[in-house]
Order: sequence, then structure tokens, then C-alpha cells
Amino acid sequence: MSRKTGSLELLDMDANHFSKEPYRSETKSLNLGKGQDSTSWGKISPSKSYCSSSSTSTENVVSTLERKKAQASNDAATLNRPDDPPLLPGEKITGQSRDVTYLCPYQGPARGVLTVTNYKLYFRPSDKDSSNIIDVTLGVISRIEKVGGALSRGENAYGIEIFCKDMRNLRFAHKQENHSRRNVFEKLQMFAFPLSHKLKFFAFEYSEVFPENGWAVYEPIAELKRMGVNNDMWKITKINERYDVCDSYPAVWAVPAQVTDDDLRVVSNFRSRGRLPVLSWIHTESQATITRCSQPLVGVSGKRCREDEHYIQLIMDANAQSHKMIIMDARPTANAIANKAKGGGYESEDAYQNAELVFLDIHNIHVMRESLRKLKELCYPNIDETKWFSGIESTYWLKHIKSILAGAVRIVDKVENHKTSVLVHCSDGWDRTAQLTALSMLMLDPYYRTIKGFEVLIEKEWVSFGHKFQQRVGLGDDYHSDADRSPIFLQFIDCVWQITQQFPNAFEFNEHFLITILDHLYSCRFGTFLFNSERERMAERIKDTTVSLWSYTNCNLDLYRNPLYWANTKQEKVLVPIASIRHIQLWKAYYCRWNPSMRTQDPVYQRIRELLKLKEQLENTAQECRREQQQRMTRSNASPT
Amino acid sequence: MNDKKENSGFKSYLDEPGLENVILDDSQRTKFLDGETVVMEAQKVLMYTPLTEGIKKTRGVLTVTTFKLSFASAEETDPANCYQQNFLLGVNDVCLSLIDSIYQNGDKKKKLVPGHNISGKVKELLIVCKNMKYFEFSFILSSKDSGKNIANALLHHVYPKRHQLLFAYDCKEPHDDRAIFKEARLFHTIQDWEKELQRTGCQNWRLSQVNRDFQTSPLLFEVFIVPQSVTDGIIIEAVEKFRNRFCPLWVWGTAKGAALVRMADLLPTITDRTEENKLLEHIRKSHPEKKPPHIIDLSTPNPKEIQSSYLKLRDLCTPDTPSKFKQQDFKFYALLDSTKWLNHVATCLSKAVEAAKKIDKENCTVVLQEGDGQDLNCVVSSLTQIILDSHFRTKYGFQSLIQKDWVMLGHPFANRLGHILSKKLEQSPVFLLFLDCVWQLIQQYPTAFQISDTYLTTLWDSAHISLFETFLFNCHHQRILATMGSLGPQIVLRSIWDWREQFYDRDIALFCNPLYDDSFKGTLDPSPKLYNLEVWGQCYFRWISDLEIRKGGKPQIDLFTRYLVSEIMHIHFNLDLSNGKLSGKMNRNKDEYMDLIQKVNSFYPFSHNNALVNNPINNVLLTGDTLDSQSILNLNNE
Repeated sequence: MSRKTGSLELLDMDANHFSKEPYRSETKSLNLGKGQDSTSWGKISPSKSYCSSSSTSTENVVSTLERKKAQASNDAATLNRPDDPPLLPGEKITGQSRDVTYLCPYQGPARGVLTVTNYKLYFRPSDKDSSNIIDVTLGVISRIEKVGGALSRGENAYGIEIFCKDMRNLRFAHKQENHSRRNVFEKLQMFAFPLSHKLKFFAFEYSEVFPENGWAVYEPIAELKRMGVNNDMWKITKINERYDVCDSYPAVWAVPAQVTDDDLRVVSNFRSRGRLPVLSWIHTESQATITRCSQPLVGVSGKRCREDEHYIQLIMDANAQSHKMIIMDARPTANAIANKAKGGGYESEDAYQNAELVFLDIHNIHVMRESLRKLKELCYPNIDETKWFSGIESTYWLKHIKSILAGAVRIVDKVENHKTSVLVHCSDGWDRTAQLTALSMLMLDPYYRTIKGFEVLIEKEWVSFGHKFQQRVGLGDDYHSDADRSPIFLQFIDCVWQITQQFPNAFEFNEHFLITILDHLYSCRFGTFLFNSERERMAERIKDTTVSLWSYTNCNLDLYRNPLYWANTKQEKVLVPIASIRHIQLWKAYYCRWNPSMRTQDPVYQRIRELLKLKEQLENTAQECRREQQQRMTRSNASPT
Repeated sequence: MNDKKENSGFKSYLDEPGLENVILDDSQRTKFLDGETVVMEAQKVLMYTPLTEGIKKTRGVLTVTTFKLSFASAEETDPANCYQQNFLLGVNDVCLSLIDSIYQNGDKKKKLVPGHNISGKVKELLIVCKNMKYFEFSFILSSKDSGKNIANALLHHVYPKRHQLLFAYDCKEPHDDRAIFKEARLFHTIQDWEKELQRTGCQNWRLSQVNRDFQTSPLLFEVFIVPQSVTDGIIIEAVEKFRNRFCPLWVWGTAKGAALVRMADLLPTITDRTEENKLLEHIRKSHPEKKPPHIIDLSTPNPKEIQSSYLKLRDLCTPDTPSKFKQQDFKFYALLDSTKWLNHVATCLSKAVEAAKKIDKENCTVVLQEGDGQDLNCVVSSLTQIILDSHFRTKYGFQSLIQKDWVMLGHPFANRLGHILSKKLEQSPVFLLFLDCVWQLIQQYPTAFQISDTYLTTLWDSAHISLFETFLFNCHHQRILATMGSLGPQIVLRSIWDWREQFYDRDIALFCNPLYDDSFKGTLDPSPKLYNLEVWGQCYFRWISDLEIRKGGKPQIDLFTRYLVSEIMHIHFNLDLSNGKLSGKMNRNKDEYMDLIQKVNSFYPFSHNNALVNNPINNVLLTGDTLDSQSILNLNNE
């Protein structure tokens, strides 16, 4: 292209002279290759006009609102210097560095002030017009590295690089004189990894008061009652009140009515980590259930446990509609067999009569971690267009999402269409099992598709049943290569998002709600996802000393509402998403959200919100007209004609 | 797998008391148009539902006519009435022109060669259509030779070598030639071109009638718009140098002076570019600021590349066995990548964005140049106009755009769509590539278009109905000759834009995008990046019924918005017309939409599953292969 324009410019200088000076050379290259494309398209700036909402992709609506609110309180205090960040109650500035350059991979370097608080990292560019404010919670940081030394040459060679859990990295360049990065670096280390520095989570200092108490959202007994337990077949037991039967289970469970406490203890001993089968969900009409547990401790010798077999029979008998029971083992067959060597294994169909064992072929936490690592490589900072689809393929991420969704669909199919009870487990029953039970419950029960119901679902299947959030997310510690870290909960939220894409009006909440949950999964601002089990949380008196994420979300419900949600009684009760890769998409609004050239679905929702507003206005006007008309009528009736 | 099919087929043979012919009532029987004749008929044919391994099937009568392939069965037609109904074609009918490939299924899948005769026994036929529809028929219950006869009838009639063999020449249906195009310009008159020039306010260009009676360039329209300074003499001389005699022609412009110009390459025998440069200089002079034009070369992707990419894409959309479905699902994104289809979409969009930026931001005239000037030129030219001119995003505007840039400027539809078999000009879905690009634009700007994705999908389907003139010919001259009876029987021109020839109003209503915000008149700034593109699911996947989301998918958004809009219109109507006097009458439409939301599936209105019936989950497709886990483990060990 440059060739053409070049010769055209030539011509411009000598406009009336055609014949000799060609517009271009005679030899015409047929190759309009990628190089040309990239040179002519690389510079096009992303459209701003496209996002009709005021939020940009790097800061969400909530943080904007929050900032406004915080700003207001700061203004009132008038103590803040202009470069200082807005602070939350309980938040304080711990370090600051001026003359720092943020090396933005999209908009280039920007100079400004970098502030570290006990909660976040905040960078404000000195160029007031720049929108490039960086506001990152410290909890999201997985690793901080120094780049370059005092003698490094080159511009921006000396500074700090920060690796985040939410698919981005940040680079800051400091001046080389006077160890200018030291203070910020130390404070970052300290407050990003409080546990490694004998400090407490920020959640314990955060003191904002909300009109709603999110800790009241989930009441285990109320939730069981909602599903009709106790009943003839199921009872509520507090055998684990002191967490001594199973230390990673909650205090309250529902179990078959006929089982004795002694048997429960025996069964618990036969299951990995004591995680015996308990009720997750019951179909209020058919009484088919979803129960969850860990693998049986069968071992190489094929040990059996009469009580366990009997207990499974009780679960089966609690559902009169079916004389069968399905055991869904989330693992690939090979992994399940391999676990025998470590004392685990799976239920043999000989020992468990009438039970059918199905392997769901979902991989373990290590495979998932590796997959997400590849995905981050693909999505951040810049996307190599030529490798986009093959790159997605090679991460296997969507394939894992697919196998989880497919597993949940199979559970739903058994419970709903065959009225058969399903027992779900994997190895320990706190990762894949939580994904499967929570997803199938979401598909089966519209209650969990409301905002509060979804909060209950997370509290119940994830938090109370001991998904090891602290370990999987790596909250508060600096052990970034910990093999116990894995994006299991993120994967679950991704699966939820996939279902919302297939059923756009079945959920009360929107995509933004899901992203907010993920942001605060890492932020350590709320107590909700801290620690690994209910027992630990009770010991820390978390409900008294921290704020629940749901206190925060439930005070801003309008932000999280899906305008399409249709809470009609005629609405489909059971959702059966299609678990084919052809329908599963990469959740770009999350994984690629830092990339300003990424397009989102916002305009559709924006337009529908506009229409809803218009409708409301018109309805009000119509009502006024009607009132006026009535008044006129009464007046004319009253006055004689 | 074939064994399985035979088994199940054999079983039903015994179970069903059905040695006699299928009994059909009048409403179920295949209907014929005036002028349509039956070529072959087979009784007791089984139609398999895709991906059910022959377990789900329908028994019926298969008919080949001079117009269509029709399958009529006694099965209940959709009681909910929520699928697009076509007056010309039944639910299981396809126009012969839509059929692309015919395979003989047996022990081995074998593609049948057009024009050849089959002599052996045919048990099963797999028909793959140009719009990705595919169906399988089995003749195990039919009388001897049925399969063979149907196959031969299809091979004989599906691939005509001469244009006059198309059904449009035989059709005797009465045609009401009412003038319905008040708003849509067809660009088949001088006035339409004149008005377009005026509408854009582009200065210094003139209409030339040098091509009257197609004397100069038979493949183009009779009116040329050229720089003011270009005389008819210059044109007559110039066309000699260009392929297809396609010299630089104005198609669109702005009041500020930039124009969009299309032209072909110089003939390969010409090495001296003086002629071309002369014309480009005239173009420069016609610009108010005398800015030199910006030339965009559109030699890639060429029609051959587009076709080969399309065939790979179609393969991904027409899995005929569960194992193929699973294989494809297993490496779907890698396969999608290897089709390069979306890469072509990205190329077209980025060229259009380039052109639009030049015109809009730099007020620079853009000249599109391509080999014959009739393929990618059409795509990029029309995309550029859609990006810049909100008029072309309306329903009528879009129709006139296609008339102007495709139909009148000689996109060789007859060959590219494969209406006729020809070695000279290969089949290539350039038009589909364009529709896909437009679909991507609608995804990125969902409120900027008056047309919906259903409209685009329907347009692609209808383009293959060999009854309508719009996409039937290679050029306008050919159309004129056909109406005069010079090619064969005199033809009656039925425009595709008269949608009432095919559909009920309730289906036509779905062509409009309820999210459309008509106050937006600005230009678009679409992203041509591959990662911002998606697969056009409605058009490509709709025939795979296992992919249909029951009571889910985009129709839910669409219908909900329709509900909202009709509610708003209703209140508006009451407020305005009754002048404060509110009538209690409820708008029926609104309730209909509410009702539909509860009934429809994700491929609505192209759905083949009944939403009211709870279809069993196809577990075969849910289970992984051991292959899956192994390769994922290997990945981890890498």
C-alpha cells in the first residue's frame, strides 16, 4: 500500500502530467500478506463510542460508583492530597512513590504517582486527561518481582513487575536513584501477602457498614426447609456440630432419616477425609436427590464397608421413583483407578448393588491450572490474531469447561428425566464435586438463578462444604507456585456464564455480578471466601469480624440485575444447556477484559434498559392521563350540562 | 454404524404394519406450482434425523420435481406454528438449486458425480445443501430401484448446464406485478442512479449512457457514473483495456467530495498502465480538493479460496454421524481455524474499514480494484457503504445496496451460487461471505441495523430458489434477454424482495431488528480482529438439531425486545391517537410474543425441534472419548 500512496504523492507534485509517471509500477505483487495488514491496522485506536456505558473495560461500573462514593467522603474530609487514592473505611496509605512510569501494554508508558495501601495498589497518571488509572486490589497479586538493578541501562529498565491472578501483569518503572522502588516494593510484599508477614487479611480491618447483613443470606436449616427437609425420608442432623466427624464439612447436614449416628461415623471413616455422602438437593416432586461425598477408601485390596453400602442403599430407597442409583465419579477412569494405589478408588458395582457407576472424565486441579496458564499466555497482554483459534484449542480450557458442563447435564438428565438419585464425588469431593453439584442444582432449580439464590448456592455448595478457597486461590501467601492452587471456582463461574449465554433470560443476575464475585474472590476485602472450611471460619469468628460480600452486593442490586430476567411462573424450570464446544465460547469479557480492543455485548443490554425505562415513563404518562381524564369526568358529571 | 441403521430399519419393517404406501391427507401431500412437473417419486422412504444413528426416523414419500426435492410425511406438522413457513416449499422441501452434493451411503460414503448414471442399488442417500442443510434418506422399505431412480433423477436435474433449464423459465404461476418498491430502489433505471448521486451530494460526477443497450460493457448496467471530465469517448476507449470491460465507476460518495469507485484490473495483455492512470487522474480532478485517490487491491481472497474455505466450514456444520460430531467437537477451534473462513471475513472487514477511514476521516476517494471487479469488489464496496451510510443499514437501504453493488454491477450469481454447472466461472459463495460480514457488523453494532440475522439467513436460503430473478443471472443484460425470450421461454421477473411471495407477514416481521435505534446515523467503527468475530450460529448450525438449545438462545432476547417494543408502541398509540382518551384494547402482538418466548428454541425461526416436546438428551454426544483424556494428559506432560 505504501508503494501506491508513494507514487500517488509523486503524481500530486506534478498533477497534469500523466503519461510517463505511472500511478504505480507495472509489476504488481499479488501478495497482500499479513505484514501489510498489520502495518495498516495496528494503529487503529479502539472505538470508545462503542461502549455506550460510561465504564471502560478496565474499570467496572462498581468500582466507578464506589470511587464516586469514596471521593465524596474524601472531599468532605478534605484531608487527602490530590494524588491520593480514594480510601475505604479501614484502608490506609502505606507507601507512595512519585515519578513512577506505568508501562501500559496498550496505551504506552504514563508517568504518575504510585500509592500502596493496606488494600490496593493505585496509580494515578500525572496527565489529568489520561484515563489510565490503575486500581488493583493487593489480594489479586500472585507474585511481585524486581526488574533490573541500579545499574541497568535503558529507559524504564528499573522497576517492579506484578503478576496477577486475574489475567494481567503490571509493569512499573522507577527512577534508578536512591532505591526509589524499595519502599513501594516492601509495602506491596507485606500487604499483598499478609499471611507470609504475620499480618491479618484486610477484611479484618475493613469497617464499612452496609444496611444489609450478607451473613444472613444463607441459613442451612432454612435452605433445607425450602426443599422440604425434614420429611419422611430425610432428616437434619447436627452430628458434626463440633466438626469432629468431618472437619471440612459444615455443622448441619441432611442425611437419610433412617441412618444412625454410629453408622454415619463408620461411613465417614470409609470416605476420604471423612467426607461421607450428604444431601445437596432434593427434587420436591419426585424426591430424587443429588448427594455429594468423596471417594471410598477402597484401596488396591478392594476393601468394602457394609455400612457404606447400606447407607447408599438408604439414599436410593429415599427415592421411591427409582430402583437405581447413579454414582457419578467426576474423574477420568484412569485417574480413579490410579487412586486405588493411594488407598482411594471407586465403588465397585458388585459391592453396590443397583448402583451404576459413571466416570465424567473431568481432569484434576493440576491440569486445570496448567490450562489457565496457557489461556493467560494467549489473552494477555496482546492477542496474536494469527494464532487465536488454534491458541484457544491448545489451551484446552473450553474443553474442560465442556466436560464439566456435560457432567452436570448428565446429572440433570438422571434426576429430572429419569427421576433417579445421583451421588457425586471425585477424589476429595471439594473441587470437581462442588462444580458438578452446584451447576446441576443451578440447572434444576430456578431459585438458584436469582441473585440471592445464587449467593445461597455459593455459600452452601462451595463455602460451607469446604472448597479450600484459601489454598486454591492462594489468599494472603506468597507461595505463587503452590501446587495446591487451581482455578476451580473460576471454572465454575465460567460454566455459569456459559449457561447464562445459552439462557439469556433465565438468570436474575448479569455478567457483571459474576465478574464482581470473581474480583472479590481475590480481593480479601470481604470475609466470604477467606479460609478453607466452616470450622476455620467459626474459629476466626468471621461473621463478627468481617463484612460479607453479599452485604455489599445486595446493597447495589440494580447493578447486577439482568434486564432480560423473566421471573415468570411459566418460565422453564429446568435448563438443559448444550454441552458442545460449538456453543461454548471463551468468556472474553472476563479473560480479555484488560484489552481495550475487545468488544462486549453491552449495547444489547444497554438498549433493552433504555426500552424498559421508556416503557416505564410512558406507563406513568398514561396513568397521569387516565387520572386527569377521570377527574375531568367526575367534574363534568358533577356539573349539570 | 451402518449395521445398526439397517437393524433398526429392519425392525421397524416388521413392527409397523406398513407394507402399504404411506397415507397422506391433502395438507400433508407435496404441493406443486404451476409449471412444475414430477420427475420421480418413491414411496415408503425413511428420513433419518441427523446424529441419531438412524434410530429416529420418519416415513414418507420422496418426490423429485423440476423445481424441488420434497419429502412428505404423515407426521404432525408444527402445531405451535412458530417456524418460518414458506409458501413455495414445505418443511422438508428444498429447491433443486439449493442442493450441492449427493452422497450414496452404504458400506462406504461415496459422492455421486453430476451427469453420471447409477446402475447399482442405492440404499441410502445423503443430501448436502448449500445452506448447510443436510438430510439422509433410506430406501430399504421402498420398492426395488427406488433409491437408484431418485438418485439418477437428482443427478440429472440438480446440475443444469444451461441457464434455460432453471425452473424460472418453466414457472407458470400467476405473478402480481404490483409496484411494491416505493422505498427500495432497484437501480434498474437511470433515475435510480441519478437519485443516488443526488442523495449522496457527491459533486463533479456525471451520468453517462454510453453503455446503453449494453454496447460498451455487457456485464455491467446501462448507466455509468464517471468523473465529470470523462467523456463518453474516453470511456469507450478505456473499457477496452479492462477485464470484463469494467472501467472505474462511481458507486457512492460524500457531500465533502470523496467517492467510492470500483474497477477491474487491466487486461493481462496490457503492460502499459497509462490508460488506468489517465482515469485515476480524472478521478483525482473530480475531487473538490484534487486529492489523489487511494487504491485498495482486493485480489485476495479470490473466489477459489473462498469456496475451498466454505467447503471446510460446511463440513464442520454437517456431521452425519455421532462419531464425526464428536471428533469435530473435540478439536472444533482448530478445525474452525483451518477453514480460514473467519480469516476471510476479517480480511473483507478490514479492507472495508480501511476504505471507510480513508473516505470519512481523510475525505479521500477510494478506488477498489480486483481482477474481474465483480467478486470481492462487491463485498468490500457494499460493506464500506454500510459502515459509512446509515441508509444502507435500513431494510430498504440494504436491499437497494445489494441491487446496486451486486445485481446491477454484475456479480455472476448464476455461476457463483452454482445455479448452473460451469467450468468457466467456478461456484463460490462470495455473497455468503458478504452476509457473514454483515452479520458480524450486526453483532458489533446490534442497535444500528434495521435488519435482523433472521433476515440475512433467509436471504441466503432464498438466493437459491431458482424462481426469483434477483440472484438468478450473471448480469443484467442476461436478465433483459431472458425477459425478451431470447434465451428460452420468456421469463416473468419475480423479485426476491417481494417477501410476500414466500412468507406470511408474521415471518416477515422477524426480518426487522427490534433493537434498532433509528436515531443513530453515525458511521461504524467495527473491529475486524479475528478475536472479535464469531461463528454465525443461526445460519450454519441450525440443521444440527442436537445443538438447539431448548427454550433458550438469542430468540429469547429478540422476542423479549419485540414484546417491549410492541408494548411501547401500544402505549404510544393510545396516548397519541386518542388524545388522552385511553382505549382499553390490548395489543395482540405483545401477547403473541410473550407466548412465543415460552415455545421457541434457539434456532427459531429455523427450528426443527418442537419446544413443547421434551426431547431426550442425546447422551451419545455428551460422553467423552478415551482419546480426549489421553491427549489432555499428554498435554500436561509436555
